[in-house]
Order: sequence, then C-alpha cells, then structure tokens
Amino acid sequence: MHRYKFVLYRPLQFLPVLFGISLITFVLVRLIPGDPARVLLGTKSTPAAIAAIRAQYGLDQPIWLQYFYFLQNLAQGEMGKSILYKIDVLRLITTRIEPTLVLVLCSVLLSLLIAVPLASLAARSNGGPADHIVRFISTFGIGFPPFWLALMLIIFFSVRLDLFPVSGYGETLADKLYHLILPSLTIALSLSTVLIRSLRTAMIAELKGDLATAARARGMPESIVFWRHVVPNSLVPTVNLLAVNIGWLIGGTVVVESVFALPGMGQLLVRAIFSRDYMVVQGVAMVFACATVLVNFLADIVTVAIDPRVKQ
Amino acid sequence: MTAKWTKLSVATVLATLVFGATIAEAAGVLTIGRREDGTTFDPIKTAQNVDNWVFSNVFDVLVRVDKSGTKLIPGLAESWSISDDGLTYTFKLRDAKFSNGDPVTADDAAYSILRIRDNPGSLWADSYKIVDTATAADAKTLVVKLTGPSAPFLASLALPNVSVLPKKVVEGIGEDAFGEAPIGSGAFAVKEWRRGDRVILTKNPEYWDAANVSLDGVEWISIPDDNTRMLKVQAGEIDTAIFVPFSRIAELQKDPNLKIHLDTSTREDHLLINHEHGALAKKEVRQALDMAIDKKAIVDAVTFGLGEIAYSYVPKGALYHYADNLQRPYEPEKAKALLAEAGAADLKLNYVVNAGDEVDEQIAILLQQQLSKVGVTVDLQKVDPSQSWDMLIAGDYDISVMYWTNDVLDPDQKTTFVLGHDSNMNYMTRYNNPVVKDLVSAARVEMDPKKREQMYIDLQKMAKDDVNWVDLYYSPYRNVSRTNIENFDQNPLGRFFLEETKKN
Repeated sequence: MHRYKFVLYRPLQFLPVLFGISLITFVLVRLIPGDPARVLLGTKSTPAAIAAIRAQYGLDQPIWLQYFYFLQNLAQGEMGKSILYKIDVLRLITTRIEPTLVLVLCSVLLSLLIAVPLASLAARSNGGPADHIVRFISTFGIGFPPFWLALMLIIFFSVRLDLFPVSGYGETLADKLYHLILPSLTIALSLSTVLIRSLRTAMIAELKGDLATAARARGMPESIVFWRHVVPNSLVPTVNLLAVNIGWLIGGTVVVESVFALPGMGQLLVRAIFSRDYMVVQGVAMVFACATVLVNFLADIVTVAIDPRVKQ
Repeated sequence: MTAKWTKLSVATVLATLVFGATIAEAAGVLTIGRREDGTTFDPIKTAQNVDNWVFSNVFDVLVRVDKSGTKLIPGLAESWSISDDGLTYTFKLRDAKFSNGDPVTADDAAYSILRIRDNPGSLWADSYKIVDTATAADAKTLVVKLTGPSAPFLASLALPNVSVLPKKVVEGIGEDAFGEAPIGSGAFAVKEWRRGDRVILTKNPEYWDAANVSLDGVEWISIPDDNTRMLKVQAGEIDTAIFVPFSRIAELQKDPNLKIHLDTSTREDHLLINHEHGALAKKEVRQALDMAIDKKAIVDAVTFGLGEIAYSYVPKGALYHYADNLQRPYEPEKAKALLAEAGAADLKLNYVVNAGDEVDEQIAILLQQQLSKVGVTVDLQKVDPSQSWDMLIAGDYDISVMYWTNDVLDPDQKTTFVLGHDSNMNYMTRYNNPVVKDLVSAARVEMDPKKREQMYIDLQKMAKDDVNWVDLYYSPYRNVSRTNIENFDQNPLGRFFLEETKKN
C-alpha cells in the first residue's frame, strides 16, 4: 500500500498554503478602498462615530497587529466577529454552508450525468455526425454567461412551464433538492462543456489504446470494451480536471446563488465584500481555500485508486 | 446494471418533483421579497433600512409616525405631556405586553432610552445625548428629563432603533442572543430567522391591538437579484416585492394579477457642490448651474417619469416641506450670461461619479451634456462608491451626486447635517452661511410649532437662494403586490403598516 503513503505527509503541505492564502486575503481585502464603519453607519455617519466603530473592531490598529490577532484567533479556532452581523464569523458560516455544499455536489453530479453519455456518444462516433453535434453544442455552451443562462432557465421552466420554483431554498431534503435543480443545471451546463471535451479526447485515445485493442483481440464485444476499459481510464484526467475546476465552480456558485436567492456562502461573500466586512471575507475565503485544497487531495486519492499505475 | 441505475435515477428525480411540488403556503401569511436579509435584531446596533423596516412590526415605540409621515401618534405611550420649560417629558404607557406575556413597563422604556444613549455598541448614541435622565415614576409612567430644550426630541422617539425592549430578557439572555432571537411588543413576533434566506414572523397574540391584525404572519424573503424577485411575484410564488426597478414598472403595470404601489418617500437626489473650489464659491455661479440643469430630462431618463423635480432640501412628504419654494426654470441662455458676468465663462469641473451605479452614471452623462451647453466643461472621474465618500469628505471634488432619506419625521436631523455646519462640513459641500447656521440652532429649540414652521420655510428659501446644493429629484418607494393583497402601504419614512395588511 506504499502508493497511498502521500495521504500521510501531503496534509503537512497544506499548512503553508493556507497560511499564504490567509495573508493574501487579509491584505487584499484591506487594500480595497472603503471602510466597514462607513458602510455600517450609512450616509449619516460623522467622523467621530466612524472612529468609534473602527476602534471597537480594532481597525485603528496597525495592519500587522491586526493580522497577528487574526492568526491568534484562528489558532484558537475562531475567526473573529462580523461587523455587519455582530456574531461570530464561524457561526455565521455554519448557518450558510449547507446550500453551497449541496449545490456544488449536485452540479458536479449533474454535469457528469450530462458529460459522460454525450462524450461517449461523440467518442464512439469519432468524426461522425453525433460527434460533430456534441462538439458544436459544447463549444456553444462555453459562451453562455451563467447569470443569463439562469434567467432563461427560470423564465422557461418556472414561469412558462411552472415546473420548478423561481428561486429559494426548501425546508425538507426533497424540497431542497427540488429547489436546487435549476441552479445546479445552470452550473452543470457550463461545467459539462469543459468535461465533455476532456472526456471525449481521453476516450478516443483509450479506444485506440493497447488495453482496448487487447480486449477486442480477446473477442470482447465493443460495448463491454468501452464501459469496462475505456470509461474508467478516461475518467482519470476528468477527475483531475474537476478538481482543478473546483475554484471555478465555487466562483460559479457566487453568481448562481445570487440569481436563485440561495442562502449560501457565495451570497454571504458578495455582501461581505460590498460591506467591507473584513472578518467575514477572510473567513469565507479560508473555508473556500480549505475546500479547494481538500478536493484536490481527494482527487489525488481517487486517481491513485482508479489507476494503479499512478504514483504520487 | 447501467439500465438499473438509469431507472433508479429517473425514479428519484420524479419522486423529488412530486414531493417537492407541494410548497406549503399557510393562508394569511404575507410573503415579501426584498433585496437583502437583515443583519441583527438588536435595534441599537444597526442603521440599515433592511433591519428598521422589520423592526417596525416586531418592536413598538413610544410614539409612532402616522401614515402621512408628518404627524406623531400614540404608540406604546397613550399620552404625553411636556413641561413649560421643555425639559421634562412625562409619558403614560398603555396596557401592553411583550410577546412572551410580560407587561411593558415604564422601567423597560427608561432602560431602552438609556441603553441607546450609553451602550458602546450603539450607532445612535449621538441622537440621544440630549437625554439627562429617564426614570419610571410608576409601572406605567415614564419621566424623561433633557439637558436642554429640544423640539425634535419627541420625534426621535419614533425611530425603530429606540424601540422599547424587555429589560429582563435582554439582560437575562444577553444582548448577543437577543440580537438573534428577540422579544418585542409589536404586531408580529420573530418565529425563525433563516440567515441569508428569510425572517419568519407570526402574529403576536399579546399585541395590544391584536384584534385588528388580519395577517397570521409575515415572511421577509431575501431575493437579491432584481429580475428574479420580479419573476417570483409574477409567478405568484410570493405576494409582494419591494425595490421594483424604475425600468420594470410599466411592464408590471400591464400584468392584471399585479398592483404597483408608488408611495411617497423622503428620498431626494441632489448635486453636491464644493463651495470652497474657485468660482463655485460665488453664489451667482451656483445659481447659474441650477439654471443650466434640465431636471425634467433627468426625471424622465432616470425615473422613467415616475419621480418629481425637487425644489427644496426638505422633501415632499416630509414635515414643514415648503411647496412654494423657488423653482429655477431651465434657462441655459440666462445661465451662460450669468456665468460670464461672474467671470466663470470657461468653468471646468471635476465630477466624482460612483462607478458601476447605473443611475449615477446615467445622470453624470446627462449633466455633462447639459452643462457643456452653457460652456462648462465637466470631467467625469469614476471611482468605487466607498472611495467616493472619502473623496467627498476630503473635499477632493467639484460636483457629485448623492442622496438622502429621512428616518425621523422632524426636519432638524437633515437640516443640521446639510445647513447647520455641524459635522461633515454641511454634507461635504463646505457651504457656510452663519445666518443660516444660527437659524438652524434656533429652530431646534423653538417649541411653538407655528413659529418653527416659519423658520424652516425661511431656511428652505435661504438654502435655495444660496444653492447649498442643486436639488435634482424626489423618487417614490416602488413596490408590487398580487391583486389579492390589500393595504400594503409604506409611509414616507419607510414604515410598512403590516398590522393593517390583508391577504384575501
């Protein structure tokens, strides 16, 4: 099992990565012009009132000291207090994490459901009409901006056909999934176009590869060759592609959550940035960073599991 | 095996559709779509409309502002009297209860006033520094002593931020916990707050006027995207939506299932002028700018004709608004002559614009065109909204568009900010007229309403003559409801009268 040894030491590499991200976010968010105290007080703010708020949240301290306090809090498992919401950032995040998590999972699942059959179709008719149609669609799909796509889906499926709710998040699990179909579809339609291209190329290579040729030589029917040998092997680059795209996927949730009014982290982040709610921006960025690191780690494990040749 | 999975997933999707499609909608629960979710339920720690508009129906205040937005009416205080020296206010409280069943006492009221004045987290402390003591003479009598006479004091008690809170509960569970799950004495009580999604209110059976409340509950739902929010009410998934974009009104008016509500607000958009910069210090130059601006064109382009030309810093729908104030007609030729006379024929102005704000950018281009007709060159400097504020404060601009909305009925707050030269250099304009400044202070302590009204009329005239800024336009609140909703009204200060709303 020495192939899995990286599972033990890889997490050690996460620490400097996360440390770097925390530093960059901390500095960047403070470089944006503007002032959380000003946003909090609105147009009727006086210089004295602004100074009082800044002092209350330690924003009048030198930036390196603020960063030190931030790290100190982080070491104790705390992320400070939101200036806008007046509660602990970690608590705030826990109230908002579920919709985003489920949305990302559903989107990945749905994009695989779209991408695998279409890519298979294209690869097996390599150069044929089906291939051309799929390639055309996937090239076309990349061009659609998600917010526009989201509105079109709402207008067609929710307003015209009355099949899905326009927006929002449900109460029960079934209700939540029902509310998430259109949002996931919006992301999946974009994501699957990327996946289709990578899968199709990998499949075509595998179809011509030694493994497939050997299987055919043993008299295996073509469909079994395809599903047993070609598909699993072409999934390896796709899994890695998905992992690389996790950042993009999280970015996509920001847009989609706003359009579909999903109470997730993406929306939380947008409002926090506009309000210059530094602590919340830092907190959400840390969570997204951890998620990205974790997903890439899991992708490595999955890759090793799928393909015995891979050594980390 | 593949076929089995296909069948299973199809079945799952279908099952989800069937079970999910039954969206439980209690009768008599009003759903309101708004942009953002609230931030806290501790009234002293927020200055945002998203919070205040919900507070009005969850908490109650001693005195309320009526629907017209110009009169104080009894709230938790049934009646009140003011001593002759204007220093002592005595309030008689009505028999009211908090939603947990505890009676509302004078002690709670005194606690709430002192808390907004003294609590380090209070964003409103400055407005209540005038309070010397607040004490309960008995369970239902509150006595407030001021450090000096103040005409606007009574009106300041109508602010949702100084709502009467249950002292026992706030101190018992702590203010952080109270900020998440509050107890009030308003028409509705907070049942659940799903952060980022919605605030769920249920009718408060303990409310003193509960017999006249028709709704079983209210849900304030956050739907940030304007398009989605409008589609949601068009699809009938919510009863009402607020913040309808100007550009959508005409289209929504055609929908037979919908009713558009255009309620008077106190919002005024104006063009700030930096009085310290060169020729702008001359009154004649500022008057010429006022004449050179075609406000009608702005109203038509920006508000699709739904707004109104502004002509006084006290907006229409606010107390002491002077309807006969001077309206300088649009006269570019006269403006040009006036500028030449003042030696400012080739005026160059630096205009700070909020980048990304559609309305702001639209106005900027209109003004640039209009002013070029009188020989004024306008350089547009687009900056991030939060940066523009710092530039205005620093005086790093010649002209810039800003807006103001009142949150108290009394004109003193805005007048002090805009003309009283108190803080922020008269709302960043650096306007400084000592006669006006003295009149602002005198009006604040004048207890005779007749005399006081005259003082504010004079102030409006003087500000107009001096052109402290250029009044551009007033705009209404824009809400939409399904036709089965009745009495969905908002007063000019933003309060929704949900205790009167009916869902048929």
